[in-house]
Amino acid sequence: MSAVASSPQRHNRILNVVRLQFINKVTYIWMPLLVLGASWVISILIFAMIPLDGPKYGGGAQAPLWAFMAVGIQAMTMSFPFSQAMSLTRREFYLGTLAAASVTGVMLSTVFVVIGLIEKATDGFGVNGYFAYLPAVWASGWWAAWITYFVITMFLFVIGFWSATIFKRWGTLAVTLVLTGLGLILVGVVFLITRLEAWPATWTWLVETGPLGLALWAVPAIALMALGSYVTLRRAVA
Amino acid sequence: MTAVIEVRDLTKRYKDTLALDAVSFDVEKDTIYGFLGRNGAGKTTAMSILTAQNFATSGSVRVFGEHPYENARVLSRICFVRESQKYPDDATARHALAAARLFFPHWDQDLAERLVDEFQLPMRTRIKKLSRGQLSAVGVIIGLASRAEITFFDEPYLGLDAVARQIFYDRLLADYAEHPRTILLSSHLIDEVANLVERVLVIDRGRIIMDETTEDALQKATNLVGDAAAIDAFLRGREVIHRESLGRVSSVTFVGGLTAAERGEASAAGLELAPVSLQQLIVRSTQHATHAPASEKEEVAS
Repeated sequence: MSAVASSPQRHNRILNVVRLQFINKVTYIWMPLLVLGASWVISILIFAMIPLDGPKYGGGAQAPLWAFMAVGIQAMTMSFPFSQAMSLTRREFYLGTLAAASVTGVMLSTVFVVIGLIEKATDGFGVNGYFAYLPAVWASGWWAAWITYFVITMFLFVIGFWSATIFKRWGTLAVTLVLTGLGLILVGVVFLITRLEAWPATWTWLVETGPLGLALWAVPAIALMALGSYVTLRRAVA
Repeated sequence: MTAVIEVRDLTKRYKDTLALDAVSFDVEKDTIYGFLGRNGAGKTTAMSILTAQNFATSGSVRVFGEHPYENARVLSRICFVRESQKYPDDATARHALAAARLFFPHWDQDLAERLVDEFQLPMRTRIKKLSRGQLSAVGVIIGLASRAEITFFDEPYLGLDAVARQIFYDRLLADYAEHPRTILLSSHLIDEVANLVERVLVIDRGRIIMDETTEDALQKATNLVGDAAAIDAFLRGREVIHRESLGRVSSVTFVGGLTAAERGEASAAGLELAPVSLQQLIVRSTQHATHAPASEKEEVAS
């Protein structure tokens, strides 16, 4: 009964965490946009220099995604101690922070799609170079590109946030161990595929699934990691 | 009196140290507490657990009758100002106060603005570029203006000069008079806060060694001033807490009170009763053989 009575207030507190996180406008808005803009400009300059008539594709659009992993780290290391001083529960802080990251994810994905649409309309800025309009990503339409970009953004944010939380709780050694563990699992998978002589099937699957399919596959993985982050944060001390 | 905080057998063990050793105490509503003790005595640990920022090894904590951990109902009614509070990287004092306004239901914006003026706090400088005193002022302003039902101040005055500290004490008292609430003020500037605190809660090596009204605590000891020889004759094996001498005049604090007859005897001998220093009383209670008393006096005097 008391949970029902206090739920509107809790709701407000979580929304206020989004506002709290956006105090860091540099971290949440300007830095990711700047990285996106800078990698875009650099990509176009490089495209213009390549003496090739066919369409040119670059991977520069991934730069802000990596920057967003750093945002995930900062959300934890810088804002968590302050959220504690604001008498927030860890749950309120976590949900609000994920919501804030989603807002930035939406912003980045939208900018990415807009750039892609411009590229499509202008034949790659007249230099036939494509930074955002990558055929595989856009195969199912602009919305597929949007979803793919958004999912990867959140994927990296959650990885950054979880790593920082593990670091807060158990220190550098734990982060190293977890990363080593993940590396070992990856090697194990590669070994298994090789052993089963399943590489052709694997490649076929990857190609058939495509970026959008892979992004959708990543959603449960993100949900799991988000849950892991929360469980880790629940006992973290600022 | 109603207890807003109930602590029972609270123990906190870090790897190799026992920070809190089966501590039990109550905190009464609408009272200013001096939470006193040496560095490392367990003050910050206790306050962190009471505010659900840290975790108990064993024992129980109730705040407003509930467990504070992940409890927004409880947490929204309390405010904890840490000595070493971290702020978001880009944040200015303006940002920090704006955030506090969002989360503390009784926030008083006018009071916050007045305090900003009084502490001459620059609002547009990044917090990480502020001086130590200005950094403390941010916390002090949040703690006062949040007007939370329970406010914890953990040595909030670091780097504040004497004038700024006095502003803090004055504003705390004035606002407390208008809006009674529970305040736990941890400090080792004991004499400075002695006039402020209604109750003293003294913690030493993870144990509560004193939990009483300031008045009762001060009545445990007596301070006589006068001719050194006359005082010495008067002491008759009493336990001396503190002694200061200037020429032939001594000021001696000792454990216990005086009977009416003894008072007459003292005044006949030309001795005067002077107020006991809470600091001397507590320093005495928390001194251990392994530590030189001199260094302690220096620390509190600085």
